[in-house]
Amino acid sequence: MIQVLIAIPIFILVTIIQTAIISNMPLLQGTADIIMLVIIAWALQEPVRTAWYWSLIGGTILGFTSALPLGITIVSYLIITGITLIIRRRIWKIPALVMLAITFIGTLFHQGLSAITLTLLGTTLPILETLELIIMPSILLNILLAIPVFAIVRDLAAWLHPEEVEI
Amino acid sequence: MKKIPLPWRTLTFSLVAIGLVILALGGYLTPVSRVALSPIISVQTWVSDRFQAVQSLLTAPSDTVQVLQRNAELESEIAHLRTQIIELQQQLAEFRILSALLDFARAYPEYQYTGASVIGRDPSPFMKYIHINRGSDDGLLRGMPVVTQQGLVGRVAQVTASAALVQLITDPGITVNVQLDPSSAESLLTGSITGDINLDSIPQEANIEPGELVLTSGLGGNYPPNILIGQVTGVRSQDYALFQSASVQPIVDFSRLEIVLVITNFQPIDLSPLILTPSAR
Repeated sequence: MIQVLIAIPIFILVTIIQTAIISNMPLLQGTADIIMLVIIAWALQEPVRTAWYWSLIGGTILGFTSALPLGITIVSYLIITGITLIIRRRIWKIPALVMLAITFIGTLFHQGLSAITLTLLGTTLPILETLELIIMPSILLNILLAIPVFAIVRDLAAWLHPEEVEI
Repeated sequence: MKKIPLPWRTLTFSLVAIGLVILALGGYLTPVSRVALSPIISVQTWVSDRFQAVQSLLTAPSDTVQVLQRNAELESEIAHLRTQIIELQQQLAEFRILSALLDFARAYPEYQYTGASVIGRDPSPFMKYIHINRGSDDGLLRGMPVVTQQGLVGRVAQVTASAALVQLITDPGITVNVQLDPSSAESLLTGSITGDINLDSIPQEANIEPGELVLTSGLGGNYPPNILIGQVTGVRSQDYALFQSASVQPIVDFSRLEIVLVITNFQPIDLSPLILTPSAR
């Protein structure tokens, strides 16, 4: 239970960092998404069984702080978690490399879903400019931050899931 | 050798002494004294230097400790003073912003304002929104216009008890009714994902020139009239098009927003009941 509840203060803290610092450091018009990175990194940790809960909590908290429709963040983070868990089962020996790969796929999926939804809601988003100014720079920033976030989350997972020693 | 009597000796020495004093006072002995004193001063300097060197060698350990302690104290004091300078510079910058905002409030005395600090930006790069630290507890309502001392920033989009989300005029989902000065042409201002703002629906007959001021027109009831937005930088006009369009340089630097004013006594007008739906026709 503690492994689920601790996600609330962690994501509140991460959201504060995201809105106050990370979103103020754009590359062109793209920004990193450390909430998504934390969700992916958490789902990649071997002993973790609470990835879906973390994804739901992270998506909900982000949804309340963003002007994006609430459902977008929740749905896209849940789908990204699903993809992460599937890939983790197949490639479990090199999680750091998987982290980079899923960061690429996840950012593309999350930003793509946001763009499609906003277009359906009536916002004009030119495809080429969206790709060049938002999606590609966001992917680059997320990949740059992926490994540091993975390292921090791995330590957190080790602290919350101490290894059992047989005596 | 015959001994000179004492009174004569005394008189002779006195005369010689008086003569030397007179010569010295007259400056006639200066070259002589320079030659005579020079080696003496050199020797004294050499002796003094050696003494001081030996003295400093003997007293060095205790002095070094004291110097190091004093150095640490001074470095600590410098760090403290630097912190104070940074704090004062921040206060000065904040004071300048508040002073400029006060000037703006004086220029538009018909409105009531609530000052708010910008505490964050929307996590999604698609949304040009900012978070401010004032909410419904401070009298903020959805739709209230937000300005700085320079001009229009946007409007309140969502409100919680102690914070609000402000949609910037650079957001691709926003539309503002504007008029140009001095041509008085009416137009629609829209944002974009690049952060640029553009004017659409400018009548073909309007004679628009770069450099014209873009102000809110008040039409539509969403924003108060005559609030500065920016300046026209380029006009795009095609013979076969229904309208002209133009690009605008915003007066507000949206990347450096720190403090904003919310106009609290302006209530946006909801025109949706007046818009005819197919079923109502």
